[in-house]
Amino acid sequence: MPEKAAHYLAPDQTHPEPISPYETKLSGSIMEVFGRGTHDLPGLIAGLNELGLHAPDGQAWNEHNFRAEMRRLGD
Amino acid sequence: MTTATTSAPTATGGPKKRAVGVRKDMTAADIAATGLRDRWYPILPSRMVRPGESKKVTRLSVDWVLFRDPRGTVHMLEDRCPHRSAPLSVGQHLGDRLACKYHGVQVDGSGTVVSVPGMPGCALEGKQATVSLQVVEAADTIFAFVPLTRDSEPTPFVLPDRLTDEAVSWFPNFAEWAGPWRFYMDNVLDPMHGAFLHRDSHSMFGGDTSARFRIRETDRGFFFEKTDQVGVNFDWVEYVRGSMDYVDLEIPYAPNAGPGGVFGIVGMATPIDADNSAIFHWRTRRVAGWEREVWRFLYRTRLEARHWEVLEQDREVLEALAADADHEEHLYQHDLGVSRIRRIYRADAKKQAAILAGAPV
Repeated sequence: MPEKAAHYLAPDQTHPEPISPYETKLSGSIMEVFGRGTHDLPGLIAGLNELGLHAPDGQAWNEHNFRAEMRRLGD
Repeated sequence: MTTATTSAPTATGGPKKRAVGVRKDMTAADIAATGLRDRWYPILPSRMVRPGESKKVTRLSVDWVLFRDPRGTVHMLEDRCPHRSAPLSVGQHLGDRLACKYHGVQVDGSGTVVSVPGMPGCALEGKQATVSLQVVEAADTIFAFVPLTRDSEPTPFVLPDRLTDEAVSWFPNFAEWAGPWRFYMDNVLDPMHGAFLHRDSHSMFGGDTSARFRIRETDRGFFFEKTDQVGVNFDWVEYVRGSMDYVDLEIPYAPNAGPGGVFGIVGMATPIDADNSAIFHWRTRRVAGWEREVWRFLYRTRLEARHWEVLEQDREVLEALAADADHEEHLYQHDLGVSRIRRIYRADAKKQAAILAGAPV
């Protein structure tokens, strides 16, 4: 194959910085709750709290702090 | 726009012409191998040409240099000084112009020679002597109109529907593959490979491994779709030829990707040369509010890596195919889309070769 080594192949184009353990745990938990078929916001937040995962301020998740955190980490 | 009118209105008949950036005659086979002209193509992600930066790229077997001026505008010139043909990309970025390293000749974003320091006032000064392409930046990507001849008029720049729809959220993805661009088109016009090649992926594990397909004509290309299954796997693809050639398709997400329905993909392949391709995808989802925020978070942390694995499965097959893999095949009913796209491109290449040959078309 010609010049294959020089080719641009980057799996992580949306996050040049490595994903933090916190982000890994949070995203894994969200997918776990979604995977059970819970697809509404109150159900997702209740699911995260049931998994014992806390918001960054140590409090339980609520719609306000959850959406703020998604905006911070997602864009 | 109909399938018959994608080419820019290039004058036909008359003297023999050369393709822009090419200094030899090209046959229809040469054009098919290195890419059809008179189209908009994605060239490079915007993030790869930062302010004050220049970048050499090969596209359609021609060397180009991209540079971003102080106002943020990207220019795309043939990478060739009009004086003695040294590559401008190894020269100096002077803000609104490039200076050739060999003799200091300065060329601006329009391809005009603005200074010949070795011989001030010489006839080359003020001459538009380097090929400069029309460039548009959109969807986080640098696009350019690659003309067939110097007479070609750029067609209006129009993004694919999904990327102009405010209700659709998207992320771009770029990769370079060591395979001919036509193999990319064959691959995406063949949805059935999803149920086999991608069966162990996060999104294409479901559905039948046998199907019947049909072609459904549209006023801008065609759909190639399964007649007996939709919304389960990679079940349909639309080929669109308008301002640029692209494919549009949808694949279901598993429940753990959350609400928002299927993910949509817009795909384009720009030939680097006859053996290598620049592959552009936009992964999209029609989501709003909290669903959009969560999808974007999950895309960055989880889904991007999974989509990448699927794309790598495609790349590995395409790079393993022999250069003449599309000769002496045994096609069956699922390959109607492949046959159709090849026929379209063969006809386009023939037409463009005729224009270059000076034949009336």
